[in-house]
Formats: sequence, C-alpha cells, structure tokens
Amino acid sequence: MARFISRRLLLSLITLWLLTTIVFIIANVLPNDVGRTILGPFAPQETVDALNERLGTDRPIIVRYVDTILGVVTLDFGESYVTGQAVLPQLAAAIGRSAKLAGLALLITIPLAITAGLYAARRRDRPADRGIVLLGVTSSSIPEFVTGTILVVVVGVQLRLLPVLATPPPNADIPTQIRYLLMPATAMAIVYFGYIARMTRAGTIEVLQSDYTRTAMMKGLTTGQTMRRHVLRNALIPTVAVIAVQIGYLFGGIIAVEKIFNYNGMGQTMLFAAQRKDIPMLTAGAIVIGVVYMVATLAADMVMAWMNPRIRLDVER
Amino acid sequence: MDYSELDKVRRRAMPLQLDVVEAFAAGRLSRREFIQRATVLGLSMGSIGMVIAACSSTSSSPSASGAAPSQAASAAASSAPSTAPSAVAGGKIRIAIQRPVSIDPVGMQDLGGYGITAQSFEFLCTLNSAGNDIAPGLALKWTPNADGTVWTFDLRQGVKWHDGSPFTADDVVASMERLVAAGNSGLKGILPPGGAVATDANTVTFTLTGGNGNFPYLVSVFNAQTLITPKAYVAGTTLDKVPAGTGAWKLLTYNQQSGATFERNPDWWGGTTPLDGTEWIFFDTVGPMVTAYQGDQVDAIVQFDVLSGASLFDDPNFSIIATEAALHRQIWMRVDKGQFTDKRVRQALAYTFDRPALIQQLFKGRAQLGNDHVIWQGYPYFDPSVPQRVQDIPKAKQLLSDAGVTNLKATLYAGQLLEIPDLAVLLQSQAAQAGITLTPSVESLDTFYGAQWCPADPKDPPCSGAQELGIVDYGHRATPDVYLNAALKSKGIWNSSQYASAAFDAAFTEFQTAVGVDAQKTASGKIETILNDEVPIGLPYFYNYLAGNSKKFSGVYSSALGQMFFSATSQV
Repeated sequence: MARFISRRLLLSLITLWLLTTIVFIIANVLPNDVGRTILGPFAPQETVDALNERLGTDRPIIVRYVDTILGVVTLDFGESYVTGQAVLPQLAAAIGRSAKLAGLALLITIPLAITAGLYAARRRDRPADRGIVLLGVTSSSIPEFVTGTILVVVVGVQLRLLPVLATPPPNADIPTQIRYLLMPATAMAIVYFGYIARMTRAGTIEVLQSDYTRTAMMKGLTTGQTMRRHVLRNALIPTVAVIAVQIGYLFGGIIAVEKIFNYNGMGQTMLFAAQRKDIPMLTAGAIVIGVVYMVATLAADMVMAWMNPRIRLDVER
Repeated sequence: MDYSELDKVRRRAMPLQLDVVEAFAAGRLSRREFIQRATVLGLSMGSIGMVIAACSSTSSSPSASGAAPSQAASAAASSAPSTAPSAVAGGKIRIAIQRPVSIDPVGMQDLGGYGITAQSFEFLCTLNSAGNDIAPGLALKWTPNADGTVWTFDLRQGVKWHDGSPFTADDVVASMERLVAAGNSGLKGILPPGGAVATDANTVTFTLTGGNGNFPYLVSVFNAQTLITPKAYVAGTTLDKVPAGTGAWKLLTYNQQSGATFERNPDWWGGTTPLDGTEWIFFDTVGPMVTAYQGDQVDAIVQFDVLSGASLFDDPNFSIIATEAALHRQIWMRVDKGQFTDKRVRQALAYTFDRPALIQQLFKGRAQLGNDHVIWQGYPYFDPSVPQRVQDIPKAKQLLSDAGVTNLKATLYAGQLLEIPDLAVLLQSQAAQAGITLTPSVESLDTFYGAQWCPADPKDPPCSGAQELGIVDYGHRATPDVYLNAALKSKGIWNSSQYASAAFDAAFTEFQTAVGVDAQKTASGKIETILNDEVPIGLPYFYNYLAGNSKKFSGVYSSALGQMFFSATSQV
C-alpha cells in the first residue's frame, strides 16, 4: 500500500507541474495588458506603465515563469493584481466557501443516490426501478442553474422558506450556515443524484449477477448479509470513482449556481480573476483546483484499493 | 418685477452671478436653469429666492415664491438628516451594489467603489436631496472672481475626521494635489499643480488655468474621485486599509468577496442619522440583486437596468429613484480610415436609428432622445435649436448613393454591459433597412476596451488602434467637458473615431472659456451643430439612472454615479 501511495504522489507532483505550466501559458496569452485592465481604460498611459513595472508584468516571460513555479513550491502566490492583497488568504476563504457548499451537496446526494441505486437494482425492471431510473435521467438532464432558479423563485421568493442569497451573515452558527446553503446545495444535489444513482444501480446489477454473489446466497447467507459482505464493496467501486471526479467539479465548476445565489466560491473567484487578468489569483486558483482533483482521485483510489485489494496488488506487482 | 428686491441681489453679486441673474430676469433662463446655474456659481439660497420672488410678476407672496427657496433650501439642507413624521429611529438598511473593484478614492473607476467610498468620505459640493444637482457639503459657500479663473471655497467649520482630528483646508489642498498628480479626468487641464491653496484654516482658493464657470461641479459628487481625504493619505491608500472620513458613516468591515458594513458616526457635523448602520452586499450582476430584494434580503439597489429590473416597476412596495442623466452610448465611426471617412456615410447610418423605438425597447421609455452630440438636454446651456434627427431610410439610402457606397458591411464591436448587446442587435436590424449590413461582435468589457475601443498601441495618437465602428458606454457627468475633451477633441485620450476638426476644437475652447450663460449657450450651439452635421459619433439616447429602495425606508437619495446616500434615511 505504501508503494502504491508514493507512486501516486509522485505522479501527482508531475501533474501539478504540468498544470502550472499550462495555466501560466494560457494566462499570458490572453489579450490586454494587466496594468490597463486594473486601472481601466481612462488611466494615463504613464500610470499604466508604472503599474506594470511595479507588478513585474513587463519582465521577460521566462523570469515570470520561474517565479510562478517557485511560488507554487513555497506556497507564495504573491499579491492579487486587482486587490493588492495576498492571494492565499483570499483563495483560502473562497475554497472554504466552496468546500462547505460542495460538502453539503455531497452529504445530501450520496446517501440518497446510493440508497436509490441499490433499491432500484434489487427491484430490476419493476416499477420502482423504472421510476428511479426515469427520475435520475430527468434530474441529470436539467442544468443546475435551471433548478437553482426554480428553487430561488419558488422556495425563496414566493414561499420565503429559505434565504435566496447563499452567503450567511458573518460568524453565523452551523445551523444558520446550512440554512443559507441548503438551496444551492439542493440544486446541485438534484443534478448529481441521477448520475450517482444510475452508476450505483449498474454496478449493483453486475455484482448481483456474479458467481460469488450466487454462491453466497446458496451458502445460506441472508440477502442483507450478502449485500453487506459481498455486493456493496464491489458494486460501489465505480460509484466511488465517479464521486471523486464530481468533487473536483463541485469545487471549481459551479459558476452558474454561485452567480444565481451570489455566493463567492472558487468558480466566481476564478471567473473574476480571468476577466481581470489577475494572473496570480488565476494561477493559484487553477493549481488549487488541480490539487483538489488529485487529492480526491487519490482518496478514491485508496478507498477502491481498500475495497478491492486486487487493485493495489496489480499495481504493486 | 420688483426691481428694488432685484437690486439688492445685483449690488452684492459677483460678475458671473450677476450674469445669471440678468439672464433669468430677461427670461433667457427658466426657473430651474436659474436655480441650477446660480447654485453652481455660489449664489446664496436666500439671494436665489429673492431673485425668483422679484421676477415673479403675478405672485409675489412668500408662499407662492417660497417654492423655489424651499427647493433651494432643501438642496442646502440635503446633507442634514430629516426624519419623516412616521419614521422609526434605529435599524439598518441592506443595500445591493455592484462589487467594487477598488476603494482607492483617487484611483477608483467603478460605480461600486464610488458608492462605498462616498459613505465615509465627503465632497466639497455634495448631492442635493433631489439627486440632480450640487449642494453645500464640506464647503459652505463658493465664489468665483470676475472671469471665473479663481474660485474661493469657504469650508464648513467644526467638522472632524472619524479619528477626532479636525478637518482643515490643508486636507482639501492635499486631496486636490493627489488628484492632479493622478491625472483626474475632470480636473486635467483645468486645475494645475499647486492651483489649490489654503488661504487660512477654513478657506481654499483654486486658481485655474483658464476661466471656468462650471468648476464647482468638478470638485463635487459628480466627479466621483474628488472625495476629500486626510492630508496624511498617500496615493494608493484604500478605505479599508486606512478607514477614515468626515461623513455620516464609519467603515466597520470590508470584504471584497462579500460586502461591507458601516456604523453611524456619532460626531458627524450633519447630526445624528436615524439609522444605526448600513450593510452592503456585493453582486456581480443585476439579476441576483433583484431576486435578493424579492426574497427580502436587501432593501435598496444602487443601480439596475430596465430589462433586468422589470419586475421592480410593478412592485408596489418598491420606490424607484429615476434620475434623468447624461448617461449614454456612443457609436463611434472612424473618420480617418475605413468605410466611414465620408461624412455622408456616417450621416446615413445615423439616419437609420429609430431613436424612439430604441428608447422604448431598451428602456421602456425611461430615456431621452439623443441627437448625435454629447450636450444633454439637462445641461443649462443646451441649445434646442438644432433640429432633432429622426429615422429617414430614404434619406439614408440617398446619402449612401451620393457617397458612391453600395453594400456597406461592417462589424459593430461592443462590450458586454447592461443593454449594449441588445442595442447592437437593434441597430443591426435598423441599419439593414437602408442596406447597411452590421455584424455585432460582443465581448467582455475588459477585452473590448483594450482590444477594440482604445488599444494601447499605437500610443500616438491615442486610440488610433480602434476599430472602425463600435459602441462604447459613458457615465453621467455634470458638465460635458470630459466627453468633449477626451472623446471628440483632436488627439483626445478616448477619441476612438479619430475625429479631428479645427472648427470643433475652436468651439470647445470657446465653450470652456465661456463664463456667461449666453456665451456658453452660443458655444454649445456651435458644438451641437458641428457634431450633428459631421457625426463622428452616433448618440441615440441619454438614459435615466435607475436605483430604488423598499418603501419600508424613506429619505434615500442617489446620484447618477452610483452614490446612494442614507444620512436622512429612516424606517417607516
């Protein structure tokens, strides 16, 4: 297991370097100059040039690239070109917000979706199964910004059951924060429910048809025992992989939901940084999201390896 | 006409003030124009009232003529809180505002920054409670010399900074020097370095490069960066890094990601504000602002557009603040190269604009006709004699034919802002009626400004890298100097059309140096005529600035530059 993990970590470092390089290249070929973007179109050119010099954006690209790599290594991403404040604290705050929203969405989705998938698989081709599949397909087809808008209008505006803005007041307690995040989390959960439920259903059906499951049943194990000891850990392997990928997306890709609920997570932060050519923030944000993906997939691989020892043995051989 | 009363004012008025008084007495200015001009020129409210009363031929009773003085008086008292009879003291108001990019008082360029900084800092000339003109702020009185080259501002006494230190003339001088050094677009070429001098602790004298009858506007709320900051401030200092101010509200918290909070300044010179504090929530688009109001999470919206805020107009619990303003869009056309070098082609395009339809479709009527020049009808020197251009498709076709142009095709560049993308589409369909094919190309504002409107290269002349056709936005200005100087004067810093006309430049110089009403109107008339004829820019409308608040609150007023004021606000 240790060799497995260390090999994965090494691969992650190489991935991180590649990611940093790609982000740097993209950020530096975007049109417009940084000083002009920050100061606006009306600032005198001398002021723009002075700012570019102060920010170092007029240095050779190789020098800036080396600076970027060193910054990643030392976790010093510099200062935001837009706010002049250190990037890391701002990013940490945005990650915190995204983590809360993603966490709540997963907390709602995972138990419901897995339960629904297992239930459907055990009643294959019966009305309950068809209903859950249909529900899953429908909910996955509706974009999260559509469900978000519907929730805002119905639940937030018409019924006034939940706040329409997702940002809670400062120092709000956990129940209050959950109350504020419930609508956007639900909007996301509705979309991912179908995907995870169907993946669970498919995995469970395959395992239920396998020889070892049939053997377990014929040995005299109850259905519940069979499900717990033999079916679940094999059926959920693909589901774990899917959830891991979704975690990365939930952190950085839900700009539409963040906009509807005016929630300043990683999505909005990155979009703002890209629009303003705030290269330090953009670079740091992309790396952080990359790290989240890597950590999530590594964690998923470890969970799968624990669930199915053959996976890590294959690698170690 | 009560000449004895009029003479009382005449005897003590300065030459510029006298000119305005005579113009009103002779009927060349309306009452509204007179109040506006006289206020700018520093005529006292009492004198204004006396002139109006004296010139009123059928109604000389105090109650009838009291309308103007009370209006003027309310302008003067706009900074003092007034509590409505049914008002409830205390509480907070929650305001939705565009996310500020910067709250550096000198360097900020966006409405979010203007709105936040104006809570703590103040102007020499602030906004009147009607939201449409200036009123005494940190300056109680201002007086020009005979030719408008020197302005003397008497400062309000007893004002303190939030840290308790006294506000003095030195703070004003230091603030002005910072602005001049930063190249403030309103003061550039008007106030030279060292032009502001503290003659004593409560008096500042401004010596200008030339006569300027509009100078108070340039150090007012309408030149958003001219907030008065402490002497010790340095360029680049932001409000959150060094909270300060003389205003009614002290900054408590600021987070660029989420919002800001202010608490009452108990030592404010204007008295005790009815509210305890204000809470500002930052948004990136208008839609969520409207939703937040509908979900009872905000009480006021600093700015919204007609289309995104459509539901607010039908909401009986929402009070709309609609300010007629000089906000507009310019459709620039390169006069030096490309397909629009011939004046007739530019005129042809302008003749395809169906301006009333644009106003109705984009603003539901909440805009005023533009006539392809930048002199807004609300300016006191607007000359209405220039015929209003209307849509005339046959004429457009004829002009194109005369110019020998057939099958005109052009890309219409525009930035993603409010109604501009919709304007581009409407212009496309209107121009098509005359056989002109326009292809809209809409980009994010950041990209558009630097790539299409005014690229940094080539540097000389400025904006010479601009596309041949595009739409750009302009915010409200209390005087048109910035539009004329930057966008239209030869080698102006925002001159995307590369317009270079000796006649226009001469008319602009005449306007700038004109210090009498008649002289300004004459020069303004020339400018309007030249621009309407040569059409370096199409300008179809001036639209209203829209803001609003829940009727649970009263006493909210707003400028057309994103500054909303709550010193007189109370819960109902």
